[in-house]
Amino acid sequence: MEQFVQQLVNGIMAGSTYAVVALGFGLVFSVMRVVNLAHPEIFMIGAYVAFVVITGLKVPGQGLGVLAAVALFVGVLLVAMLATGVAGLVLERLVIRPTRGTYILTPFIATAGVSIALQNTAQRLFGPDPVRVPSVIPPHTFMLSGVRVTSMQLTTFLTAVAIMLALRYYVHSTRWGRATRAVAEKPDVAAACGVNVNLVSQLTVSIASIMAGAAGVALGLLYTSAAPFMGLLFGLKSFICMLVAGNRHIEAIMAVGLLLGVVEAMVTGYVSSNLRDAVAFALLLAVLFFRPQGLFGSYEV
Amino acid sequence: MSNSLLAHLPAFWVVTLITAGLNAIITMGLYFSNSAGALSACHAALAGVGAYVAAVLTTNFDWPFPVALLAGTVTGFATGMLLALVTLRMNELVAGLTTLAFGETIVIIAFNLDYIGGANGFIGIPLQTTFDAVYPLLALVVFAAWRFDRSRLGYAARACRDNPHAAAAMGINVPRVKTLVFALGSGIAGLGGGLRAHYVLVQNPDDMGFFFSINYLIFWVFGGSYTFWGPVFGAMFLTVLPELLRFSLYDRFIIYGVILTAIVIVRLQGVITRVPLGRRPAFVAWLSRLWRRPVPSASLGQSQGGR
Repeated sequence: MEQFVQQLVNGIMAGSTYAVVALGFGLVFSVMRVVNLAHPEIFMIGAYVAFVVITGLKVPGQGLGVLAAVALFVGVLLVAMLATGVAGLVLERLVIRPTRGTYILTPFIATAGVSIALQNTAQRLFGPDPVRVPSVIPPHTFMLSGVRVTSMQLTTFLTAVAIMLALRYYVHSTRWGRATRAVAEKPDVAAACGVNVNLVSQLTVSIASIMAGAAGVALGLLYTSAAPFMGLLFGLKSFICMLVAGNRHIEAIMAVGLLLGVVEAMVTGYVSSNLRDAVAFALLLAVLFFRPQGLFGSYEV
Repeated sequence: MSNSLLAHLPAFWVVTLITAGLNAIITMGLYFSNSAGALSACHAALAGVGAYVAAVLTTNFDWPFPVALLAGTVTGFATGMLLALVTLRMNELVAGLTTLAFGETIVIIAFNLDYIGGANGFIGIPLQTTFDAVYPLLALVVFAAWRFDRSRLGYAARACRDNPHAAAAMGINVPRVKTLVFALGSGIAGLGGGLRAHYVLVQNPDDMGFFFSINYLIFWVFGGSYTFWGPVFGAMFLTVLPELLRFSLYDRFIIYGVILTAIVIVRLQGVITRVPLGRRPAFVAWLSRLWRRPVPSASLGQSQGGR
């Protein structure tokens, strides 16, 4: 029982990053009908920004107080979000806008080209091997009736939840969020009502990239490593989370992300770590078989 | 002829050209499969199925190479048909996702089958595929695609893709056409996979994964998804391009990605698109007259819509 709860907690902590990247996929897909293959690479950029900033600052690592550590973490997060946000703006303007609205695979392979270029740029700059991202959060293990939660896991989870709440607020309670939802529903009608569709699209990709960047920072610190190809499998699984949940509800995507993390942790703990990567695909196959529109809502092409 | 030509090429380019030819064959499979509007994101897996079958037959059972290839093709065909029957009622996106999950399932099965080597891959395959085997077969596949484009099945497939309801109203058996066409493309992928296995000499489960399937999709869309020259061009060009970029060994995939994206942005419908037919070159007209079924030129131009 104790092991079960432990795996549950581990799964939830790891799954929250899947959820955040999946939210970015879902956001871009709902608003623009574009599968953005460069999204996982933006996530990778986030992790590398954390690496550059933290090693550049020569953080001592151990002796930081809690407040200073949190401030530093938030600072790194903000820098990474800025960088990936700008990357998202550029990506939208240069690659997605010219190719969108044609055939669904056209932006898909255009962003695939960007993704190849970004992976290899990272490899060129930082080498093919994973680099070590020094943790800024002082390592500490909380014991809750036999269940271990590390401070970094907690930070990751809290960051993910904060991002999700912020996105929820943005989409449901702001003027721009309303415009975003209008564009997602019917782009031409939204345009006729005076919504600047191009601006909304640009903002959407940028916000999705910001979220991916934050997730990248969190995961880079959680696993203390960043690698040029870290986005590949991670991105694919997050994309599957989005598909399983459907792209209608933010909460649904978050829940499925957590679920995937939990199931993967369970499979690792009880069955075999070889099968860990298979879980996502089995889940996808099962859901598509019974609910081709995703568990909680529709995507139509 | 090809021998004398090959003698002048550096061995490195022979390897590249053979790889390009193999990729072109598998991408042609994609052209067939997707011509009826079903999106396949698992052609690497279908090719892998054909490859495993052909490789096991030549290695463990000493079957002659052509027969084993044929067996691989038939297995690919059968697998594709089963998959098509499952994805038949889904829309393009969901069908594509199902094929994605199917491909990954095949990878996992291959990983756990010890008979075909499991995670280590199937090794000890005899070298059978040569330049002289790949290019005639590619020519055959291209020829088949050319005939397919002008056959009843080809027209029916395009009708199913552009408007399934109208196609059904015209009396086309949409499920049958879709299944058959998908299976045909899977068979060609199986053929390409079998050839590839006897050239690379090892067949890994990883070679069948999603990222390889995406590569074939990239070849296909990049070259132009609506003409049979498109996939051939896309596969050839994108296979040769990284080798051409070897002058900057470390940056070549950066340049590759940038070139890929740039060309897609400039040619949204793929590099080779169907020219709205005005006049065709005289010898093409002469060639097509040999087949006695004149092509109604207007109908070819129209299927361009929507992309």
